[in-house]
Amino acid sequence: MTSDQTSTAGTVISQGGVAETPDGLITVGKTMPDGQAMLSVRNMKKVYHTDGGDIEAVRNLTFDLPQGQLACLVGPSGSGKTTLLKCIAGLLAPSAGEVTLHGKKVTGPPKSMAVVFQEYGRSLFPWMRVRDNVELPLKNAGMDKAKRDELVDNALEAVGLAHVPKSYPWQLSGGMQQRVAIARAVAYQPQVLLMDEPFAAVDAQTRADLEDLVRSVWKKLGVSVLFVTHDIDESVYLGERVIILSSSPTVIQEDVLIDLPDERDQLETRSSQRFSELRHHVYEQIQLAKKGFRPEDAIAR
Amino acid sequence: MSAEIPLASHTNLPDSSTGAAQANRAVSPKGPSGPRQPRPASKRATGALKGLFFIAALPVILVLIWYISTAVGEKNFFVPTPALLVETFFATWTGDRITTDVIPSLTRLLIGIAGSIIIGIVAGLLIGSVRWLRALTEPTLEFFRAIPPTVLIPVLMLLIGIGDDMKVAVIISGAVWPILLNTIEGVRSMDEVLSDTTHTYGIKGFNRVRYLILPSAMPQIMAGIRQSLSIALILMVISEMFAASSGLGFTIVQFQRSFAIPEMWSGIVLLGIIGVIMSFIFQLIERNVLRWYHGLREIENAA
Repeated sequence: MTSDQTSTAGTVISQGGVAETPDGLITVGKTMPDGQAMLSVRNMKKVYHTDGGDIEAVRNLTFDLPQGQLACLVGPSGSGKTTLLKCIAGLLAPSAGEVTLHGKKVTGPPKSMAVVFQEYGRSLFPWMRVRDNVELPLKNAGMDKAKRDELVDNALEAVGLAHVPKSYPWQLSGGMQQRVAIARAVAYQPQVLLMDEPFAAVDAQTRADLEDLVRSVWKKLGVSVLFVTHDIDESVYLGERVIILSSSPTVIQEDVLIDLPDERDQLETRSSQRFSELRHHVYEQIQLAKKGFRPEDAIAR
Repeated sequence: MSAEIPLASHTNLPDSSTGAAQANRAVSPKGPSGPRQPRPASKRATGALKGLFFIAALPVILVLIWYISTAVGEKNFFVPTPALLVETFFATWTGDRITTDVIPSLTRLLIGIAGSIIIGIVAGLLIGSVRWLRALTEPTLEFFRAIPPTVLIPVLMLLIGIGDDMKVAVIISGAVWPILLNTIEGVRSMDEVLSDTTHTYGIKGFNRVRYLILPSAMPQIMAGIRQSLSIALILMVISEMFAASSGLGFTIVQFQRSFAIPEMWSGIVLLGIIGVIMSFIFQLIERNVLRWYHGLREIENAA
């Protein structure tokens, strides 16, 4: 099912392949033998039924996320990124295909998954102080107070917010609010962390800090992270792997291995030769996707 | 799916027939205008004086007009002088009447308000959360809401007698609606992202109501309660005008029928004072419960 191939750039490693699916021959992301992947997406399709007719948002997606990997999903705007993420999170039911976590089919929000949404202003409870926001999922899970306090303290410390536990979220800047949301996800101790364009609404300087924060949290916790973004630089800088989505109806266009050194630095990494090669490649692919290039057609030819 | 919905959906209330939107607007944006920096003592003192001036100015002018018109013009039997009214007020409302009339009235009023709040919020949470229940009940609720509660008094007298039960029932039958309909609306206009967030963290059942639904509907609920308070006061008085032997409404009608005009006026003044005190207590509670909401609004408005 999986066949490594070298792309046109010559140096970029594509991990995906072509597979026979219910929707015909389609490019797929990297998959693993059954039972080895943490998160597995198979032939996932999502069609919205509206009064104006059916809208096929996602046509066919297949990829695996191994334990402990940080993968970025990047695609042109309107490529069904949020739809995909909501299906994985169990907030939406896919129209066909399935999502499995640890081999178990996802039918509702799974316990070992946390989601960080783009709209930080609307995902934090405005009537709760920062600390209570972070603590709530643990309280709800029935964890005892001492354990809760420890986890909340550590999470706030990890995102650099140990000094504002008594503030309300809306008293903080946008970047700090998103840190609270990240702390809440971290304290929840998930095995998979989904992030839906979490930094799209914060300013560029804050964004750089938050990107490094995500890398450090990911390393510290050893969670699998699926990071959705429309920012090409961000996807290459953050990920160990970038999954490029086509325009809607979405399929996987390419699954790119990011072979940058593990230690990343905003200045060093971003100015390195390899970074610009990878960035160049992903950028080209996104431009293709925007122009309406369909990977299926390329295979057929 | 998660398209661009304006920030914090509870701030833009859809204009429902409940008047919730109006009421909410009237309640909410009353935070201090201007930055909250500590001010010098002298400025704070003049600020307090200014506040006092604005509170007292209009009442003083009204009393003055009243005083002059009763002192200069012809004496009118139906309009007492301010001095006479004050005198009558204390004579009438400091003795036995406190225990025989004022306290029974207030007790019925408070029970009626508490009942309206509990019924309104519980039923509102239920109807607001369950889609088919809302579709099923909403037309019927509109019908019952449209019935003026006063016409129910004869019906309720026949059904539950002429005791305190009837009076409390009358108060609830009118005061429950703003709370009920506002609660439904508040639950319905829940922010989608917040709702998704609680889903992903497995917060459901009672915890979902406690940590998400109730607080997020609270701004609307408070607006509903505010409207209900004045309705409850009106219905308390009216319910006591039928087949009653005690209470403020009863006493005021008695005074009127026996031409005890200054006493009648003093009862009206007492009702006004009760209304003002209720509103004051409500504002204190509201400011505490919705501290987060006013803060959030202030920041949104400043941005």
